[in-house]
Amino acid sequence: MGEVIVITSGKGGVGKTTTTANVGTGLAKLGKKVVLIDTDIGLRNLDVVMGLENRIVYNLVDVVEGNCRIKQALIKDKRYPNLYLLPSAQTRDKTAVNPEQMKKLADELREEFDYILMDCPAGIEQGFKNAIAGADSALVVTTPEVSAVRDADRIIGLLEANEIKSTHLIVNRLRSDMVKRGDMMSSDDVVEILAVDLIGVVPDDENIVVSTNQGEPLVGNDSLAGQAYMNICRRVIGEQVPLLDLSGKSGLLAKLASIFKKNN
Amino acid sequence: MNNSVIIKGTKSGIIVVLDSEMDFGELAEHVAVKFQQSAKFLGDATMALSFEGRVLSNDEQRVLLNIINDNSDLNIVCIVDTDERKEHLFEKTLNEKLMELSSNTGQFYKGNLRSGQVLEVETSIIVIGDVNNGAKVVSKGNIIILGALKGNVFAGAAGNTKAFVVALEMDPVQIRIGDLIARSPDKKEKKVQKETKIAFVEDGNIYIEPLSKDVINDIHL
Repeated sequence: MGEVIVITSGKGGVGKTTTTANVGTGLAKLGKKVVLIDTDIGLRNLDVVMGLENRIVYNLVDVVEGNCRIKQALIKDKRYPNLYLLPSAQTRDKTAVNPEQMKKLADELREEFDYILMDCPAGIEQGFKNAIAGADSALVVTTPEVSAVRDADRIIGLLEANEIKSTHLIVNRLRSDMVKRGDMMSSDDVVEILAVDLIGVVPDDENIVVSTNQGEPLVGNDSLAGQAYMNICRRVIGEQVPLLDLSGKSGLLAKLASIFKKNN
Repeated sequence: MNNSVIIKGTKSGIIVVLDSEMDFGELAEHVAVKFQQSAKFLGDATMALSFEGRVLSNDEQRVLLNIINDNSDLNIVCIVDTDERKEHLFEKTLNEKLMELSSNTGQFYKGNLRSGQVLEVETSIIVIGDVNNGAKVVSKGNIIILGALKGNVFAGAAGNTKAFVVALEMDPVQIRIGDLIARSPDKKEKKVQKETKIAFVEDGNIYIEPLSKDVINDIHL
C-alpha cells in the first residue's frame, strides 16, 4: 500500500511545486514507484517544472469526471521509468473536483504506487481541501520569513484539525550568510515557532531557478540544493541522514576555522 | 396540561409562575412534570431562579428547588424574590457569582494554539502548549499559558479586571483584561527574554512583570 503525501504551505511562492518535483524525482531515483499529482486546478505548473508539458493529453479533471481512465492520464517521466505525473487542468477551476473524489483517486493510486505526492495550491480554500482529502502525511514548506511562517502555522493547525497525524517541515530558501548576520530566522527559530519535526533545510540556490526553467529537477546532483533534496527523500523513506552543512564552505581552511571557533 | 406552572425566562434567570389556588402537593407534581419536559431546552445553564404567583414558605421553596434539581440539569445558584426594583440586583448577584466561579475554577487545554484558532472558555484556563501569533484565548477568568504566548489573550472577559495572565514566555500581540487593552510595542525587541511573566491590572493600566514571590502574594482570586 502506498503512502499519500501532501506538499503544502499556505503562502504562495515558497517552493511547493519545486519541492514536489524534486522530492518526487528523488524518490524515483531511490527506486520507488512514484506519482505526482498537480492539484492546482486552473494554475497548472508542475508539468512545466518536470519538463513534461508537451505530453499532456488528459488531466486530473478528466479522470475525476470519468472522461478517461487513470492510466490514460498518467504521464510517464522521460528520465525515470517508475515516475509518473497526473497533470492538472488549466481551463477549469478548483470547484471542478471535490474532496471525496480526490480521496477515491488517491485510494486507487495507492494500490499501484509506493508514494503519491499531492502538489497543493496556495491558500486554505477548496483546492487545499481537495489536496489534503486523501493524504496520510504532509510536508509543510516554508521560507524563513514571518509571513510564510504565520501561514504555515495556520496550515499545520488545519492539518491537525483534519486528522493528518504526521506533519514534517521543510525550511526552504535559507541563506546561511544572512542567518549568521542575524538578518534571517534560522531553521531552529522556525522549528521553535511551529513545533513540528524538521525533515530538511534547503538553501537558497540559483541552480534551482536554472533547473526549474529547464524542466529538469536538480535533486541528487552536486549542488547544495540538490543534495538537500536528496537527503529529504532519504528521510522520507525512513533513513537517518544528518542535516547538511549549508555554510557553503567546505575547504580545509574553513574546517580549521570552525575547529578553532569551537575551542573558544 | 393546564397552566398551573409556567416557566418564563428573563435576562439572567428564570421565573416560575405558580398557580395560587392549587394544593401544594399537586402543584409540586406539576412542577416536576414541567421541568422534566423542559430539561432538554433549558440545558445545564447556571442561573438564578424566582417564584411568582404564590407566597411560599421556606420549606415549600426548598421542596420545589429539590424537585427542579432532580428533574433538570439546571444549576440554580440562588433564589431571588421577584420585584421589579430588584431585577438589576438579580443580575448583579448572578454576575458576581459567575465571576467568582470563573476565577476560582479552571480547565486545561493541551496542545499548541495555531494561527486562526480561538479558544473560548467560561472559566479560568491553563494552556499546556504555545499560543502562536494569530491565535486567541478568551476566558472569563484567568489565563495561564505553560508555553510561549505570541498571540492574543483576553482574560476576565465578563469585565473582571482582577483577572491576570501568566506565560512562561511573554511576547503577546495584544493582552485584554476586563475592559482594558494593551498592545505590543511597535518596535520589536530583537530577542524576548524567556522568563515567566504575569500581566495584571493596576490603577487602570495593564502591567507585565516577572512572576516574583511578591507579585504572587498580591494575587487575589
